[in-house]
Amino acid sequence: MARAAELTGPETRRLNRLSPPPALLLVPAGLFLVVFFLVPYLNMVRMSFLTKAPGAAFTHVLTVENYLRVLQDAFYWRVIARTFWLAGLTTLLTLILGYPLAYTIARAGGRRRPLLLMLLLAPLLVGAVVRSYGWMIWLGRVGLINQALRALGWGEAELMYNTLGVLIGLVHVYLPFMALAIASSLEQIPADVELAARSLGASPWRAFWRVTWPLSLPGVFSGAMLVFVLALSAYVIPILLGGNNVLVMPMLIVQMLLDAFHWPLGSAMAMVLFGLASLVLWLYVKAMNRALRWIPR
Amino acid sequence: MRSTSYRVGFAAAAVAVYVFLLAPIAIVVVAAFNSGEYLRFPPEGFSLRWFSKFLASEPFVRSFWFSLKLASLVTLLSTVAGGMAAFFVVRHARRSRDFLRLLLVAPLQLPAILTGIALLIFFYSVGIGTRGMTGLLIGHTVVSLPYVFLMVSSVLLRFDRTLEEAARSLGASPWVTFRRVTLPLVQGGVVSGALFAFITSFDQFPISLLLVSVGNTTLPIQLFDYLRFSFDPTAAAASTVSIALSVAVVWLIHRLVGLEQVTWGGPR
Repeated sequence: MARAAELTGPETRRLNRLSPPPALLLVPAGLFLVVFFLVPYLNMVRMSFLTKAPGAAFTHVLTVENYLRVLQDAFYWRVIARTFWLAGLTTLLTLILGYPLAYTIARAGGRRRPLLLMLLLAPLLVGAVVRSYGWMIWLGRVGLINQALRALGWGEAELMYNTLGVLIGLVHVYLPFMALAIASSLEQIPADVELAARSLGASPWRAFWRVTWPLSLPGVFSGAMLVFVLALSAYVIPILLGGNNVLVMPMLIVQMLLDAFHWPLGSAMAMVLFGLASLVLWLYVKAMNRALRWIPR
Repeated sequence: MRSTSYRVGFAAAAVAVYVFLLAPIAIVVVAAFNSGEYLRFPPEGFSLRWFSKFLASEPFVRSFWFSLKLASLVTLLSTVAGGMAAFFVVRHARRSRDFLRLLLVAPLQLPAILTGIALLIFFYSVGIGTRGMTGLLIGHTVVSLPYVFLMVSSVLLRFDRTLEEAARSLGASPWVTFRRVTLPLVQGGVVSGALFAFITSFDQFPISLLLVSVGNTTLPIQLFDYLRFSFDPTAAAASTVSIALSVAVVWLIHRLVGLEQVTWGGPR
């Protein structure tokens, strides 16, 4: 910035004084996000402390009743546990599947790389509804996999409308996020580092585990954080691929808001879910920082 | 070569993962062009009947046009506002820079469904409600604007300002300098941001779910409602249209600025 100012000649400076102040550039986006993003979030926090009134969505009576109702109900805790468990498992599976993908992209040569990236980004940009539908065609009762199983005389498998179906859908939707995060971290490791380890006598696997893997951990950690949060809030996939058999928190929250029209309780449920998520992430970041301290920079 | 043995393993795994990633998308396209009621192997033959059924279905066509109109307006709004904000943050902000960046990308860090809930409650609290397109337009712009901001910022950060300086010293007015020098140079970033904003809106689900109203349904919501009760390939035809749009966007970004910009330099 300072350099740019030095390059500005006297003539330009005179003209700059005549032009409108640059802060005006920020007004549309800044105002928009404050009014339609910051304020609504604060309003939702407030809503979670209000009371439901008969015939109206809420009255201005402050209470912690909504939170107590969520926190004291074993049913909600079971759903919360399932939501976290699914998100955690999704994170782990996207890591296992995403790492080789990221490695291949990061080490791919000039020509092949755009193609590999395109094949990763195209699914990312296809909506979750369309992708769930694609999985229905494969996994359904009359789906392609069951057709193949029947043709082979192996009977039928329940692949959808259960936890397995939801997990497949979740891993599919969030895998590109994980792969991109890891790839951006692998990008920054010079290929020579690994070669140096090899030339000093390390076996390929040893060179990978002791050099490349630790250096890629920042990407792994940030990818895991992103996928975990996204998977916690998944709604479409649990509904379409889980039927009504796999109940997760976002489903209950949306039901509470749109069907039961109980905004204070719905808001409190959302706050509890993301409050717990923040707690998990906070512990995770602390552990992560400790782990990263061991990585030579 | 022995030294690359695990790379070969990784490459083989990567191929398998790509198959997994593309399988459900490819099969939707196959189902859309297949003539049968449901897909079986071998496919029963090529047909466009599901596309004509899609075009004859009033709810699908209406929601498609609605989504297209909505996404175009969202693109316009978020490109202008997000682009301007990027200029300010990269070129003029000093101490407020980190805070502003945080605010402008915050909608990408928080789950969209939460943003949708917050907006739904907010719209009713202030009496706007969710009738008409306004609510959707605002909600979609909130989550699309950060992409434009990020992509225009990443182009601006690598911008050589001596070029503008040269134009000005040769007598060009600020406006002419902007139009003839600055804009052509940042064009790629702006257009990529706009394309990302467009597809973000066109495919948006969680925010739409909370903010749609009767008669104002987007294509993903219409598809979702349809799939809850029926599997017939009309949905596959509708999905194929949406897949084609996504692929077109990725390809255009690749041609305009290169995908690396989007992935390493840009969002996330």
